[in-house]
Amino acid sequence: MNNENDSAWIAQATTALDESARDLDAATLSRLNRVRQAALQQKRGRRISWMLPAGLASACAMVLAIGVWHGAVREPALPTLPNAELVHSVNGSNGADDLEMVANEDNIELYQDLDFYAWLDTQNQEHDG
Amino acid sequence: MHQLLNTINEQSWTAQRVDTVKADERALDQFLKAVERRALRMADMATGNREEALDLVQDAMFGFVRHYAAKPSAEWAPLFYRVLDSRLNDWHRRRQVRSRWMSFFSTAPADDEMDPVAQAPDLQEPGPLARVAGKEIGQALEAALVRLPLRQRQAFLLRMWEGLDVAATATAMRCSEGSVKTHLSRALAHLRRDLEAHYE
Repeated sequence: MNNENDSAWIAQATTALDESARDLDAATLSRLNRVRQAALQQKRGRRISWMLPAGLASACAMVLAIGVWHGAVREPALPTLPNAELVHSVNGSNGADDLEMVANEDNIELYQDLDFYAWLDTQNQEHDG
Repeated sequence: MHQLLNTINEQSWTAQRVDTVKADERALDQFLKAVERRALRMADMATGNREEALDLVQDAMFGFVRHYAAKPSAEWAPLFYRVLDSRLNDWHRRRQVRSRWMSFFSTAPADDEMDPVAQAPDLQEPGPLARVAGKEIGQALEAALVRLPLRQRQAFLLRMWEGLDVAATATAMRCSEGSVKTHLSRALAHLRRDLEAHYE
């Protein structure tokens, strides 16, 4: 065997090595499979450590964006209301009247004795008549 | 509205990223499946013990995934064997230190378990190579490979069996390309001499 024949015996040797690797027993292959899965699981674990915060941040950003978007859609609708100034003033005056009625004690007594004043009014009309 | 579109784009990017990660994981699984048996046989020859060989391959896979899985797949093979080679060297070094301490503290080996000679691979016992070949040649090849120094055996197996080029083998063995050539040349010379009778 000389240097020129190296390729021949090396080819035979590598073929024998290939066969020895191919024909491993079932227990060894099972263990190799478990080892490989464990290594990949380790990679998944490392990935989850950054994906979980990223997912949460995305979800929060989505909720915030939807909220902002809804607000932006509502705001332009206000000027389209007919005569908003008038509506505002009417609502304001109603509130002021109610406030005046509640604040004035005489008025409250008047409203409480409405039946009496109605009877008095009929009596006056009979006298006049 | 722009914010909403940005968020939708971001989520789409995340989905694409998840798909990419799954594809990477499949590629990594395929790669490890392709190299695991040869890696185990290399560890077998280095340790002469199947359980220790499996432990070393496990360490190598974990180390490779932890440090190099993000590298381009074209670089995976030399990097995986680099990690395995490192584990084999560590094992070999620990073994030598343990043997030295044992020989220092005990004039005679206490039992077979601590005897380095008893721990050495039994060259008469037909290994997987010999069992497969079922011939004298297979047994002689296995024995010759086991007898090679670790660096020479790794150079031979990585270059001739795994098919790495000189540069990739140098990366795997963490040495210069010249050293790879030297180790390989010596390995071939040893194997040629040991196997001469079987291949003539």
